[in-house]
Amino acid sequence: MRTKQGKPDGFLLAAVLFLTVFGMVVLYSMSAYNGRVRFGDSAYYFKKQLFALALGLAAMYGVSCMDYHVLQKLSVPAYLLSLVLSGAVLLFGDAYNGSRRWLSIGPLSFQPAEYAKPAVILLLAGFVSRVDRKKSGRMIAAVMLMVLPIVGLVGTNNLSTAVIILGIAVLMIFISNPRYLPFLWIVLAGSGFLGIFLSLEAYRLERLAIWRNPELYEKGFQTVQGLYAIGSGGLFGRGLGNSLQKLGFVPEAQNDMIFSVICEELGLFGALLLMLLFLLLIWRFMVIATHAPDLFGSLIAAGIMGHIAIQVILNVAVVTNTIPNTGITLPFVSYGGTSVLFLLSEMGLALSVSRYSRT
Amino acid sequence: MQKTRPFHRRKIVVIFLGCALALVLLGIRLAHLMIAESEHYATLAEDLHERERSIKAARGRILDRGGNVLADNRTVCTVSVIHSQIEDPERVIETLSRELELPEETVRKRVEKVSSIERVRQNVDKETGDRIRNCNLAGVKVDEDYRRYYPFGSMASKVLGFTGGDNQGIIGLEVEYEEELSGTPGKILTLTDARGVELADTGESREEPVPGNDLVISLDYNIQKYAEQAAYQVMEQKQADSVSILIMNPKNGEIYAMTNVPEFDLNDPYTLLPQYMPEGTAQSAAGSTLRGEALQDALNRMWRNGCINDTYEPGSTFKIITASAGLEAGVVTPQDSFSCPGYRMVEDRRIRCHKVGGHGTETFAQGIQNSCNPVFIEVGLRLGIDRYFAYFDQFGLNEKTGIDLPGEAATIMHKKENVGQVELATISFGQSFQITPVQLAATVSSIVNGGTRVTPHFGVSVRANDGALLKLYQYDDGRRILSEETSEQMRGLLEQVVDGGSGKNAYIEGYRIGGKTATSETLPRSANKYISSFIGFAPADDPQVLGLCIINNPQGVYYGGTIAAPVIRGMFENILPYLGIRKEGDQP
Repeated sequence: MRTKQGKPDGFLLAAVLFLTVFGMVVLYSMSAYNGRVRFGDSAYYFKKQLFALALGLAAMYGVSCMDYHVLQKLSVPAYLLSLVLSGAVLLFGDAYNGSRRWLSIGPLSFQPAEYAKPAVILLLAGFVSRVDRKKSGRMIAAVMLMVLPIVGLVGTNNLSTAVIILGIAVLMIFISNPRYLPFLWIVLAGSGFLGIFLSLEAYRLERLAIWRNPELYEKGFQTVQGLYAIGSGGLFGRGLGNSLQKLGFVPEAQNDMIFSVICEELGLFGALLLMLLFLLLIWRFMVIATHAPDLFGSLIAAGIMGHIAIQVILNVAVVTNTIPNTGITLPFVSYGGTSVLFLLSEMGLALSVSRYSRT
Repeated sequence: MQKTRPFHRRKIVVIFLGCALALVLLGIRLAHLMIAESEHYATLAEDLHERERSIKAARGRILDRGGNVLADNRTVCTVSVIHSQIEDPERVIETLSRELELPEETVRKRVEKVSSIERVRQNVDKETGDRIRNCNLAGVKVDEDYRRYYPFGSMASKVLGFTGGDNQGIIGLEVEYEEELSGTPGKILTLTDARGVELADTGESREEPVPGNDLVISLDYNIQKYAEQAAYQVMEQKQADSVSILIMNPKNGEIYAMTNVPEFDLNDPYTLLPQYMPEGTAQSAAGSTLRGEALQDALNRMWRNGCINDTYEPGSTFKIITASAGLEAGVVTPQDSFSCPGYRMVEDRRIRCHKVGGHGTETFAQGIQNSCNPVFIEVGLRLGIDRYFAYFDQFGLNEKTGIDLPGEAATIMHKKENVGQVELATISFGQSFQITPVQLAATVSSIVNGGTRVTPHFGVSVRANDGALLKLYQYDDGRRILSEETSEQMRGLLEQVVDGGSGKNAYIEGYRIGGKTATSETLPRSANKYISSFIGFAPADDPQVLGLCIINNPQGVYYGGTIAAPVIRGMFENILPYLGIRKEGDQP
């Protein structure tokens, strides 16, 4: 095996650090009002996120120093752990806003669904890189069977994350198989199932109606307020900290809809710059994935690329009302400690892969 | 450990390109939202964030020709509640219902209504407003604004008009000059968060109201006051239903005074005067027994300006028009001789003169002095229907005068094709058709001023609050309706009416006064109700002021020459010196 060991990808590191700093600044701006109103502390959300960020940066550093090949053996136990945790949250989880998504350990709370994403990436990368290429036909079915338990567990109370996990899995199998046509069938079949799934229940079709005309429905409130925020931004925005929509109009401005308030404060230019930054990040994952010395490393980087890309694209699409509303956070920017911890761990993984390359 | 193969790398690039494409498309979608639809959403968002309280603009004042303020503004307060900021609703309800003298349920409904801002009461006295403000109740806003105030109460009420709750003109000049007077209301805009709490650091943005402009009118406070006194006096003496007096400048159409007594209180226009109660209603508690439509009808009657909104049969004063037409057409001269046996046969109808025995042989000039009906019937018949109607048109009697007050009534005249000799005969001495008093005054003004049509009006100029001239009104004057010679003849003939004819009660030693009396019976004739009137002008050789007095339904003696002419004499005795018009022979 001819591999060259070198330094981690500096470009990726710089982009990640810039994004985290940007994310913290924006998060403070977005969450100050809600923090003050609910907890009497403008920095309430900021402080909690800062703690998770510190943990995450430490994890990123630690993981990036590891030889990622070690993880190949750990991938199955890690996946089993995620199944246990996701099962536990259904039994012992804390509910917040009506969904059981958090496990509490002392003063800390933890969202197993966030952990499930890197666990699935590792599992699939490890599995696919070991399987004999000639059995690739059956492999698709095998992989689907492997991820089905976690998709089911996570999907019971967090459908959006389950969709993301499924998306990551599809992308990784797509890479592992030389053919294109079967994936077209998978996409078509998926769309068909989605159509049937939606039309089975009237309330799911209502979601589509809200998407077409959010102004007409009470449940379209969040979408409409997001559009108001985006529209108020114009080219250059109101300026950092000057959003009015975050003052309770956009519900939970620091969460899923944070991008709309970024548009309001920083304008079209700020929003496009942020999207460009994410594109650069995805580009670096592609570079790392295509230069990785072995399939395991390549699939890890590609899985991370898929994860970030799916979340960014779906989040922006939801906020701009391009697709029906579903709760997906914007990586590194939206509030969420578990999310930032595991995102940074994934970045560590990608950095670790980037230290090795084909000659 | 497997190595990556080219297809692995190719597929990774495919995924990357797919993601890049998706991001670019989303970027375009975003640009569309933030540029093309930016305004749409930004406006909606602004409506959401801004709470607006309007500040009334001070309405422009109305000034008479001497600068007396006839309509002014007073500071009053508007009390509103902001639901989301109220901390102690019970105290707010209790305080507001006590201070504003409103029933508790009314206030409670306002206070408990979930809205961004709710107006509880407008036009609250400044003192009351200050008291409420000093209570420091959270969520209660006291905004100052203006309310119309008329310093002279009922003076020229039907001319000036009054304003409604939003300071908009309801009747009279207040309506006609609304655009100049109203100004532009201002706004207090405050930004709020989603709970409706005003944002401290953004402050209030005020759009200052732009006050309305002042309107200067031709009305003269002193003449108006005197006209009203005179009108009330004669109304009382003669127990008449109403009395109208109109004083104007016959040369340019400026109206110095216009009154229709009883006048109502402009500061309290919704209280019905007992005189306007419909017959058969208890007079003791004015207004209180009337409800809804009946009350509104009665109020509308009270607010009517009889000089312009109502028509009447002018009677003998209209002989001025017949005489002018006859002289202008050359069908009669002042020296022409007529004979009056006390009636005149037209076709099969015997039309009587007011003097039963007849005036005997008389010249046309004497006929005017005597107000002899057969003379004017003869002149009318000599003119013929076509010519008579042509002059009617030429004198402007078929059009409205164009006075700057709303609701001017049009002339009610026979259709030409329905007019026979009998109708022509009655028209000739002012019966069987109706015109407004202001139309009569304007037409006679035009006849005696040298023969040019004037537009009666009040509006003279618009001035800024500091007195700077903004606009000078021009009126469509100067259309010749009569030759200079005929006009001069008419002045002389009408002077003779006052000098020794039926209008002698308008005579004032030392002044040359022209005029004509009239006594007409209202419809139905069987009611025996009369309208007595007199129209006069002075000086007769160069008219500078013209007065018309109309007494509706006088009791006892009802001859215009006996009861209306003295009213104009009294007016002229006072206003001629006031206007600087000297007696004959007085040295300047």
